[in-house]
Amino acid sequence: MKDKREIIREEMAMRGKILEILKEGAKTVPEVATALGRPTEEVMFWMMAMRKYGLIEETEEMTEDGYYKYRLKEGRK
Amino acid sequence: MKKYDVLIVGAGIAGMETALNLGDMGYKVLLVEREPSIGGKMILLSKVFPTLDCASCISTPKMAATANHPNIHLMTSSEVKEVSRKNGNFRARVFRRAVFVDPAKCTGCQECEFACTVAVPDEFNFGLVARRAAFIPFPQAVPKKAVIERAGTSPCSFACPTYIKAHGYISLARSGKFEEAFHLIMEDAPLVGSLGRACYAPCEGECTRGLLEGPLPIRRIKRFIAEYYYSRHPEPEYGPPEKRNGKRVAVVGSGPAGLSAAYFLARNGYEVTVFEAQAEPGGMLRYALPSYRLPRDVVSRDVKNITALGVEIKTNHRVESLKKLREEGYHAVFLAVGTWKARKMGIEGENLRGVVDSIDFLKRVSEGESFDLAGKTVLVVGGGNVAIDAARVARRLGASRVVVQYRRSEKEMPAFRWEVEEAEEEGVEFQYLKNPVRFIGEDGQLREVESIRMRLGEPDESGRRRPIPVEGSEERMRVDFVVLAIGLKPSTSPFQDEIELNKNGTVKVNPTTLQTSLPYVFAGGDAVLGPSTMVEAMGQGKRAAFFIDRFLRGEDLQEAEFEYKLPPAKKEEVLSRQLTHTRLNPVKKKLLPPEERIKDFREVELPMTQEEVLYSSARCLDCGICSECHQCILACPADAIDFSQKAQEFEVEAEAVVVSQGFKLFPAERKPRYGFGRFFNVINAMQMDRLLAPTRPYNTILRPSDGKVPENIAYVLCTGSRDRTVNNPICSQICCMYSIKQAQLLMGALPLADITVYYMDIRAFGKGYEEFFQQASDMGVQFIKGRVAKIEEKEDGNLLLHYEDIENGGVKKVAEHDLVVLSVGLLPNPEITRIFKDEKLELDEFYWVKQVEEDVSPARTSLEGVFVAGTAAGPKDIPDSILTAGAASAEVAAYIESKRRGR
Ligand SMILES: Cc1cc2nc3c(=O)[nH]c(=O)nc-3n(C[C@H](O)[C@H](O)[C@H](O)COP(=O)(O)OP(=O)(O)OC[C@H]3O[C@@H](n4cnc5c(N)ncnc54)[C@H](O)[C@@H]3O)c2cc1C
Ligand code: SF4
Ligand code: SF4
Repeated sequence: MKDKREIIREEMAMRGKILEILKEGAKTVPEVATALGRPTEEVMFWMMAMRKYGLIEETEEMTEDGYYKYRLKEGRK
Repeated sequence: MKKYDVLIVGAGIAGMETALNLGDMGYKVLLVEREPSIGGKMILLSKVFPTLDCASCISTPKMAATANHPNIHLMTSSEVKEVSRKNGNFRARVFRRAVFVDPAKCTGCQECEFACTVAVPDEFNFGLVARRAAFIPFPQAVPKKAVIERAGTSPCSFACPTYIKAHGYISLARSGKFEEAFHLIMEDAPLVGSLGRACYAPCEGECTRGLLEGPLPIRRIKRFIAEYYYSRHPEPEYGPPEKRNGKRVAVVGSGPAGLSAAYFLARNGYEVTVFEAQAEPGGMLRYALPSYRLPRDVVSRDVKNITALGVEIKTNHRVESLKKLREEGYHAVFLAVGTWKARKMGIEGENLRGVVDSIDFLKRVSEGESFDLAGKTVLVVGGGNVAIDAARVARRLGASRVVVQYRRSEKEMPAFRWEVEEAEEEGVEFQYLKNPVRFIGEDGQLREVESIRMRLGEPDESGRRRPIPVEGSEERMRVDFVVLAIGLKPSTSPFQDEIELNKNGTVKVNPTTLQTSLPYVFAGGDAVLGPSTMVEAMGQGKRAAFFIDRFLRGEDLQEAEFEYKLPPAKKEEVLSRQLTHTRLNPVKKKLLPPEERIKDFREVELPMTQEEVLYSSARCLDCGICSECHQCILACPADAIDFSQKAQEFEVEAEAVVVSQGFKLFPAERKPRYGFGRFFNVINAMQMDRLLAPTRPYNTILRPSDGKVPENIAYVLCTGSRDRTVNNPICSQICCMYSIKQAQLLMGALPLADITVYYMDIRAFGKGYEEFFQQASDMGVQFIKGRVAKIEEKEDGNLLLHYEDIENGGVKKVAEHDLVVLSVGLLPNPEITRIFKDEKLELDEFYWVKQVEEDVSPARTSLEGVFVAGTAAGPKDIPDSILTAGAASAEVAAYIESKRRGR
């Protein structure tokens, strides 16, 4: 299994790509993972950090299979 | 030395409560906390059982009261190193880590965190999410001040002779911040493009990743950054500084040393004039390094970074006297004339037409002279980088055969292996252990060379084996042209009567300040070092600028500290931060094909693509944690970031000591059967408390593997408690209740979710606890009596729990859940005993601090005057911790009073 620290470190290199993907509209973690071609657990780390640091935010509604969608958040660059 | 009544170690709820009690009684308390915030684990909890009151609503006021209490002196990010006794009192050494933020200025605005380019696991969220190298531990932190985590200077940055923050620009490149990366490099060296092309990159030699698959291509990343920036900014974005100080400095020589000094001095408000003997600035960069390695337009653009500051470069102006410069009104001089004199071999025929020295040859080629070498045979003598450059240049000028003769073997050759390889690809021949003994000519024109074979003898002063001629092995070879590249000497002879020189012609300087024997003259670069490298020369220019500034401001040079660096991060420690490292192969250097290369002087090395740069910089291990990218400095509106901050040590006196260092969480990896650390959806209860807390790491309770809202959550009680296999046979007392608390909270937060608790027996002693358990049961939480034997992961991230169903006859069963919470036990924190010098703080048989009179005097320890509070003495919940803090405060007060009254 990939070390957590290694996954987390990659966030900075992934941010740009994830922001690009979310430009098309709000997406769940698995949807972003598919678009990025990376495992969901890695994307989860990256997107949750991006949320924590104000780059993205969740939409109100949960999907039928129990996921939230995340969209770009205005303000931070 | 500061005197206190009481020293308290650890500022969790027990330590804070003890401090508040004692402070209210009028005692002066020093409260020392290792973390950057007080509050311990309680502040990180969601709610407390059985009342379900909000944990932070209880903690936060206590934290604030502690921090603001007039009788409590709080030291965070600090540790007590040693406690000893002196004259009936305690003496303690307290160590405060450097946090690189001035707490008096920091307003807690978090701008540094948002700007920071390094992501690491957030220990305050137990690794569920990232934090930054610059961080405020959590939203309710007290003090709410940022700190920066640094584990030393990253090896790459440490290795740079001009302390370019290599790690910093890599972390910026990784974030796609290429312009910011350029500006960061400019903080330490103005010739970014030249370094990106032709620096020998000592940073790469030190890169920790070199111990894995190979170092990062740090230089090529820099090249990308320079090209990215220069293509968008053909001219510098700045002009001369507004503030000038009216002082003038002359710089002699416009090589990397001179240009770097000029740049730093000019930025500091000096009026700088550079005197250059050649027709154009750049020194060796322009005249010696072949343009296929360093295109001249790159040098020209680099030079603009200096002239934009208003630096005047007077070319075709050879300086012959330093004193004259002084008479012309320069307050100080920086001498950086380099090594432009070639060594001679001292053999017959050296003056024939067709025999040239390397520097003369390379310079004339750089100036556009087209030596007609088409179809000719060229011999290059020497084995250094200059010899290889000369040989490759000769190939490009059309020579059909180029031979390099070197008097030692390949192993001793100072040129880099890759340079030799590239030359060989271009058809350069190498003859090792061979040296010319005479050049033979006709009518003053070179025709032949006579060379002798060498063998290697004993090592000489340089440590390399001495070459010895093999008598009678002379051979002749027809040659049309010879380049002698056997070494360069400093161009310092005009100044020998004005300043002291060393025997080899280099300038004698104070190695720290670079001041020469003439106080207003400083010197650096190759003129001081002998032939070295452009980045070393730049480092000397930067250093000289620093000390020239001190000198001209009349400050003591010996006192000044130039470029404070933390010691380098330890590579073994860096690698041991991770259990595994994914193999990430380095991006290979891409070169033009050899047959293309030799056609002309076009650049040999191809640039990396942006994608390759992102991939390469993402390989960085963040050795020093903080990369010194300096984005926090730029972002901080309060100017609070201070990289010069140093750790401090204090000695204090106290009459009594309270240990309240709390507990450690059982590391669930020690139960490998449960898959913690391997399966993303197996988490521990502390992580679940974070998910349930209002300051949670996610937007709600989600499973870590894919962000799904869990529907079927299992609790595995007694993980690491009551378990002899992990050496912790005792009950942790709180796990049943916190699990029930979480189950209730989950039922509230996720009304559709099923919660199952696998338990051995539920220990619900204490007021209201049994009712609390019943309440959970009534809410629909399922309780199954049975030990979980093992957990397996399914492809979709769900988990299969194998358990023994005790109430149904002990049959083995398997249940599927989408999230598993391990109710981990509490472990002692016995390291505290180490701080007591010359005496032993006793522990009980399970390594908790021993309460020697538990029933009558629960805070007493084995050491007189040392008391214990909270979970330091054993597992307990918050109400009990607060109770023991009350006991400790009372016992401490009684102890101090009776001691003062002489007992
Ligand atoms: C062929 C060759 C290849 C090299 N390749 C590399 C490489 O790939 N990477 C690397 O890092 N290093 C390389 N180096 C070394 C590097 O170029 C030097 O270490 C660096 O240039 C030294 O800088 P400096 O400022 O001390 O001297 P210089 O670059 O020599 O600059 C001194 C300047 O002073 C001027 N000057 C001299 N006397 C006077 C005077 N009396 N009055 C006014 N001006 C004067 C000179 O004309 C010159 O412009 C190479 C060197 C050579 C010769
Ligand atoms: S220098 Fe860069 S990496 Fe270090 S704390 Fe500041 S922003 Fe973060
Ligand atoms: S891994 Fe990164 S920080 Fe460490 S030495 Fe290499 S480039 Fe520098």
